[in-house]
Amino acid sequence: MSQADVAAGLGVSRQTVIAIESGRYSPSLPLAFRIARFFELPVDQMFDPEEEES
Amino acid sequence: MTSTKQQRLTAPAVVLVGGTIIAAAIAIGHGWPNAGFAEAIAIVLAAGYYLLAGSDSDLGAVYGNRADERQVLVVMRASHISMLLMLAIAFVGVVITVALNKNYWQFELFGNAGGFAYLISILVLGAHEEQVLDSHDTK
Repeated sequence: MSQADVAAGLGVSRQTVIAIESGRYSPSLPLAFRIARFFELPVDQMFDPEEEES
Repeated sequence: MTSTKQQRLTAPAVVLVGGTIIAAAIAIGHGWPNAGFAEAIAIVLAAGYYLLAGSDSDLGAVYGNRADERQVLVVMRASHISMLLMLAIAFVGVVITVALNKNYWQFELFGNAGGFAYLISILVLGAHEEQVLDSHDTK
């Protein structure tokens, strides 16, 4: 699945998908839930706040 | 994200209308040949903005009216930096023109307009946020 496919599925730009992937941008709560739903995973498995803090 | 033609046309239309108004002012003050040159520049700029608005980039998303939440945040940060720069230039302009004993009201106008707009925006947007919270609390 390409970044463009993920971006289209989430309704955001490809640049934002890249920024989230590389950790340069933390998505809002609604977008985080959309991402989790898109990948059919729980939010806490998609995003680990402790990992971001370290 | 895709951009409709109408979304892509907003930025070029604003540039074209603004450029045409400036060209009209140039026609009044400096004659038609200069105005034609200004209008030609406006048309080229509008075409450039149309191409930019369709590009797959942050700038394209912003000018194509399809910015997502991260790009809106980027625009807000960029607007803040731009405002600070304009206020700094206005301040330097006032200092220099006062020192040279020249008219400084133009710089003062820009500085005050920016400063007041900033304060009023905080008041209005802040009050709006409080109202939203109040309405949620009462439920």
